[in-house]
Amino acid sequence: MNTTLRLALLLALLSGAIVSSQDDENKLAYFQTAAFNAPVLSGWEDQSRDQVAQFQQPAAAATIRTALADADGPIAAAEAELSSWLGVEVGQPVYQGKVNLADGTWSVLIYDIDATSTASIMTRRAEGQFVVISFLERDPAARTVMLAVARDEAAREDAGAEVAYAVAALNAADFSALDAGAVVELPSGEWATYSRERQLAMGMVFGNDSFIALQEGEIGDLETLADAWNRTLLGFFVTPDNRIYLALGLFVVFVILGTLVFSFRWRARGIQKDLALLDELARVDE
Amino acid sequence: MTDISSSNALENPMEPGAQPRLLRILTILTVLGFAATLILGLFVAGTDIQQGEVQRIFYIHMPSFFGAFTAFGATVVGGILYLARRSETWDQIALAGVEVGLAFALINLLTGAVWARPIWNTWWTWDPRLTSAAIMCLTYAAYLMLRAGIEDPNRRRAFMSVYGIFAFVSVLITLFIIRIVPETIHPVIVGASPQNAQGGFEATSGVVLALVPSLLLWLTLMPITLIWHRVRLEIRLEALSLQKIRALNE
Amino acid sequence: MKTSFAAAVLAIAGKDLRAELRSREVLMAMALFALLSVLVFSFALELDRAARGEAISGVLWVTLIFASILGFNRSMANEQDAGNFDALRLAPISRSAIFVGKLVGNCCFTLCVGLALLPLMTVLYGLNLLDGWVLLTTLLGVGGFSTIGTLLATMTAQTRAREALLPIALLPVALPFLLTAVRATKGVLGGEPQSEWQVWLQLLAGIGLIYFVLCMLLFEFVAEE
Repeated sequence: MNTTLRLALLLALLSGAIVSSQDDENKLAYFQTAAFNAPVLSGWEDQSRDQVAQFQQPAAAATIRTALADADGPIAAAEAELSSWLGVEVGQPVYQGKVNLADGTWSVLIYDIDATSTASIMTRRAEGQFVVISFLERDPAARTVMLAVARDEAAREDAGAEVAYAVAALNAADFSALDAGAVVELPSGEWATYSRERQLAMGMVFGNDSFIALQEGEIGDLETLADAWNRTLLGFFVTPDNRIYLALGLFVVFVILGTLVFSFRWRARGIQKDLALLDELARVDE
Repeated sequence: MTDISSSNALENPMEPGAQPRLLRILTILTVLGFAATLILGLFVAGTDIQQGEVQRIFYIHMPSFFGAFTAFGATVVGGILYLARRSETWDQIALAGVEVGLAFALINLLTGAVWARPIWNTWWTWDPRLTSAAIMCLTYAAYLMLRAGIEDPNRRRAFMSVYGIFAFVSVLITLFIIRIVPETIHPVIVGASPQNAQGGFEATSGVVLALVPSLLLWLTLMPITLIWHRVRLEIRLEALSLQKIRALNE
Repeated sequence: MKTSFAAAVLAIAGKDLRAELRSREVLMAMALFALLSVLVFSFALELDRAARGEAISGVLWVTLIFASILGFNRSMANEQDAGNFDALRLAPISRSAIFVGKLVGNCCFTLCVGLALLPLMTVLYGLNLLDGWVLLTTLLGVGGFSTIGTLLATMTAQTRAREALLPIALLPVALPFLLTAVRATKGVLGGEPQSEWQVWLQLLAGIGLIYFVLCMLLFEFVAEE
């Protein structure tokens, strides 16, 4: 009776676990592929399929997309990605740079595709391929650029210097003409803002790098875009392939348990042999 | 526990193969249960996307410590009852507990090292919990050495019962050291992790689903079955040595 | 007629102390070992000024525990060799009195070494170890591992390998004392506020009490004929 009760309780616990484990799968805020995990951007239209994570914000005509590209260099990877995605051949990037994030060295590339579209791309090598994370904006009224900068040790405390550098590098405007605005508190961190009538620059210091977002033209919701871009970059990760260690661990478990059982067997056999020997000795004595 | 001792007392120790029915059932259940928990841990539970497949080692790593806890606990109980009742069976259970527990503790230690290699980027680190787990293994290795060094059987049984009780301190330290020395990087899955723990993951229900059966198996069936087999072996070993002494004296 | 517990304890401890006062062989060996150990540590760890504060409590306690092992081994081996122990077991006194008597003797030897070590290390390392709290920690720590050391030495003295087995058996089970005593000493020497390290002293005393009771109960089984 008691045992049955306990078994029933255990079964109830397990079935409860199975039911709620399905809930967990839905709660996971990651788009998962075999090669990478990209955070799902809530409030954005999810256009992800197969091996591509893609989220669109129709109001800002902005898309954030994570995909893999076969290429032998970062520029080739970015070109391959843009041509397979948009079917366009892009020219030279208007900006090139590199930053070191926790998971490796990323190349930063910015392309002005045509009069209305700009693509900001971060890419790094991953197992013979390239991971390409793109921010594409097709708003005819504004040009929006996202980039990460790692330049000056002295500038690491303050995003302003790097914003100035980014503004100059992109020929956006004269930085000195921008007025420092309020510090904006977003989920991704504290962003310093610099603005003037039709220009807005935002910068956030993160470790040894600064993340910069620039918008020229009709100022839209740059905060949301910058925040989503940052979440994608910092939330992106590759699930490590460590099956070999799992196999090694299981091997160790089986070896130890096997050794234990084998030693029991071995000693039992030794007993048999000794008994036989004792019997024989007893017979010889007789 | 009483079941084990009484059924052992009844059977003829020198006759191999005459396994009691209950032991045979337990053995089959243990093997089946082990296979089932492996399937749950390897195939049913989802992959941890942060840590990758290696996280599945946890479904053996933590239960094996609790298996060792049960086995070393049997050593304490066996020791106390031997001292109280002077029945050899309790000492045999204590010894069996040490051997089985040591194997489980080694599994715990080595699976931990294999997991730490990809997650902490090192096989071993001098973390308080790792150190105390290693000392726990050495304590019971010392038990076996000390035991081999005492010739008189009655003295050996009494001494080792005493040492088996004290050796359990190392198990308790390993269990509670996170509370005593908080600067550990070892993650705590149940309850709050220490501030600087590295490589923790959330105990979602998928994890619980694979962990609970495995924990129950390692906590009960695995040590009990193995200890019982070891006790039967010890009974036969002791009977053999008696027979040898008799043969020599004749 | 039974000798009273206290009288038996005093007699046994007194016997050990008097024998030691005459021969001085155990205490000399322990003191020399402790001195060597402290010097060797300062070479091996290259204890510069910064490293000292961190390492000194570890050096103190490791030295003390190894020196005490030397003492436990000698004191029990003496009993065993001369057949004293059999005589003690036959005497009309309780086993726990034998235990406490031996414990007091062993404790005194190790405490002597410890008390000599504190001013010596103060001079050698330039850190003031002559602090009331350090003394208390030394007392509690030495008392703590002497209980389990006395019990285990009684055991290992009756085995084949004897001296070799005691450190192997003792170190893991004396670990709680080492751990808490090192922490407490470090806290006191580091000038941390009392609330930070007081808990270690309390733990040390608590564990010591538990071990003492356990040893008293279990000594009976270790001292059987």
